[in-house]
Amino acid sequence: MSTQPFPFLLLPHAWASRNRVRRREKGDLLRGIVFGSIGVVVSGVLFYGAYWVTTQLAAYEEFGDYLLRLGLSWLFLTFLAFLAFSGVVTSLSTFFLSDDLRLLMASPVAARRFFHARFARTVGSASWMVIIFMAPVLIGIGVGRCAPYGFYATTIATVLPFSVIPVALGSACTLFVVNVFPARRARDLLMLMGLGFAAAVVLLLRFIQPERLLRVESLPDITDFFATLQSPITPMLPSFWAGETLFAAVQGGFDWLHQAALWTTAGALTVLLGAAHARWHFAGYSRSQEAPKTRFARFRTLDLAASMLPLSPVRRQLLVKDVKIFLRDVSQWVQLLPLLALVLLYLYNFRVLDLDRIPYMSGFVKNVYAFINLGMAGFVMATVAVRFVFPAVSAEGSAFWIIRTSPISMHDFLWSKFWTAVLPVLLFTEALTIAANQLLGVDPFLKLMAAATIFFLTFALVGLACGLGARYPRFNADATQAAGSYGGVMFMIAAVALIIVTIVLVGWPSSMYLMAQTARFRYRLTPERYAMIVTSFSAAGTVCMATWWLAMRSGVKALDEMRK
Amino acid sequence: MIAVQDLVKEYGRFRAVDGVTLAVKPGEIHGFLGPNGAGKTTTMRMIAGLLKPTSGRILVDNHDLERDPEEAKRALGFIPDRPFIYDKLTAGEFLTFHAGLYGFGNGNVAGRVHEMLDLFELRQWEDQLIESFSHGMKQRLVMSSAFLHRPQAVAVDEPMVGLDPRGARLIKDVFRRMSERGVAILMSTHTLEVAQEMCHRVSIIQKGRIIAHGTVDEVKQMAGGSADEHLTSVFLKLTGGSALQEIDEV
Repeated sequence: MSTQPFPFLLLPHAWASRNRVRRREKGDLLRGIVFGSIGVVVSGVLFYGAYWVTTQLAAYEEFGDYLLRLGLSWLFLTFLAFLAFSGVVTSLSTFFLSDDLRLLMASPVAARRFFHARFARTVGSASWMVIIFMAPVLIGIGVGRCAPYGFYATTIATVLPFSVIPVALGSACTLFVVNVFPARRARDLLMLMGLGFAAAVVLLLRFIQPERLLRVESLPDITDFFATLQSPITPMLPSFWAGETLFAAVQGGFDWLHQAALWTTAGALTVLLGAAHARWHFAGYSRSQEAPKTRFARFRTLDLAASMLPLSPVRRQLLVKDVKIFLRDVSQWVQLLPLLALVLLYLYNFRVLDLDRIPYMSGFVKNVYAFINLGMAGFVMATVAVRFVFPAVSAEGSAFWIIRTSPISMHDFLWSKFWTAVLPVLLFTEALTIAANQLLGVDPFLKLMAAATIFFLTFALVGLACGLGARYPRFNADATQAAGSYGGVMFMIAAVALIIVTIVLVGWPSSMYLMAQTARFRYRLTPERYAMIVTSFSAAGTVCMATWWLAMRSGVKALDEMRK
Repeated sequence: MIAVQDLVKEYGRFRAVDGVTLAVKPGEIHGFLGPNGAGKTTTMRMIAGLLKPTSGRILVDNHDLERDPEEAKRALGFIPDRPFIYDKLTAGEFLTFHAGLYGFGNGNVAGRVHEMLDLFELRQWEDQLIESFSHGMKQRLVMSSAFLHRPQAVAVDEPMVGLDPRGARLIKDVFRRMSERGVAILMSTHTLEVAQEMCHRVSIIQKGRIIAHGTVDEVKQMAGGSADEHLTSVFLKLTGGSALQEIDEV
């Protein structure tokens, strides 16, 4: 039996990470610059936001302290939910589905060492992103309050056990579900968790109703509002302990009780989880290897609907194949759920915010929001395209030989991918834009302009994603890795540039039109100005159509050249 | 039929396939033999349309693969050495999809799909996801797709890898029946017993060049062996591996 300590089992993961860093690939520098810049900007915004709020609260003495304390508890409560969800998903992979388990489970590694190694990996994988977001916020609070160095040391000593607790609970949940539900259906767990998580976010925000702060006449409600904020924060939750510990530290003190509560709970949960794994992990793992017969949706309605479409047999079969594979792979479409939750929240905000009560939000400026909305819809579309359309060619994976040896041209193949993607993306973004503009109550002309712009942008962005996806395929990578590859980054840069250019080209003539409609501007539309409006709108349409056509042509050419 | 004329494939300065010429007539099973790295798979991938030759011609059922790729591919069935297929489709859906790729209409597909599933003993698995199949079942499914569209010619790379004896016997029977119906089969293999048992003619490739071709007996004569000599020793003589065999015999 192996006597190596458990960190030895983490070495392959560490070496693989090291090798990935050492390996030089085309686009590494560009990817590093783009993601690095985004990271620096996001961290800077979080740091400055936390710093600004903290300094503002400092002016209100006891009430400011109360709000800071409340804010810290809420920050940790939010991350507690994220970490628990992340712990469920990550432990499903690290303990039950990961490819290297076949090697490890067959090797003479003690169950306790195996558990500690896997649990350390689970905590690391589940919490690194939360910690990256949390760090600039906590540093911003520390700097804003001129906290002593002890605050930063306490932060590390608090975040560490705080991360372990929800991840341990999430792992326990996974262990239970894998042992209870039929094997292979464990991945469906992701879907349930995703749905539950999205619903929880929406409900939580509905529960708080922050829009009440905007209603000046309902000032007595503010006390209710703070009572509402206070209600989910109970002294029994680790988020409360973490908030209290850091609140004491930021004032130069040390809260031994809550710090001890965090460490002892984290330790106890690790020991209990270890015991539960020793008892039930192998049974769960065995179940995940079984089940040659699985239940799955046959989608006969899809077959029927496809048979009624006026398509050639080749295109019909490509369509049916792509849709069925997408719908049956829960790990693919479940990623739409958090996006859907954010979109629902976005629309919900427009519904509950009574913009007419805020003076600067009425009239002309309100129409400017239609363009922000257009940009947001474009960005959502680019995100959906890079995650679901860009990897469409890569998703053929090792089975691409079937397409390449069959008597269909790469032109037909890529265009089939395009048409399969363009319809759902178009419906989704048009619905989002029309609904948001309706809730905002923008000018009817802008509603029409935004709908038309989204139509053209959809063709351009989906075409760009298909074309670049064919140009830079990653057949050995999963869809997420393909989206984050050199080609994916190139797509995002090109997509953002296209969205900005299009908004400028439609925004300028739209503003001319709206100014002419508003009496106080005394602006008239002369024939020359009409010609400029038409030219600018036409230029926007031409840019989108040219992007669409050139990207698709480039993609087909790249697929044809693959034989070389 | 399959006709390959002066086929060359270069990777930079390295010439992986160097002027290969071979012809597989209708009804013929042609063994394509050679040591590892000789250029077999590269040649097979060029015939399947997966790799573009540096020079030379490939004809499938008299359709030039370069000038008329869709008709040439329509006449060919290709079976790769590793059966990578769509895990999230059922066997029946995969074959229906495959039929669609080759231009079958909806009307006659189901009957043909069942015929092939019966032939390859997969009918009871028709409605199961491919991800639950064993390697051998996936291999048989790929083979059933290769014969589904009634090809004039079939190129098959290492057909027996991963098959149990029953599966191997089934495949041999299917290949023989198809060749009797006039299908030209080009079979790349390392399993010399299979080549000796099944192939009407063989070609041996080494370092990208065909060093021997003809019937199995003709190749044996070419190597200076008797008709009773096993193809393995003939192969080792021709490809320079006889020393290995002597070690083995010691």
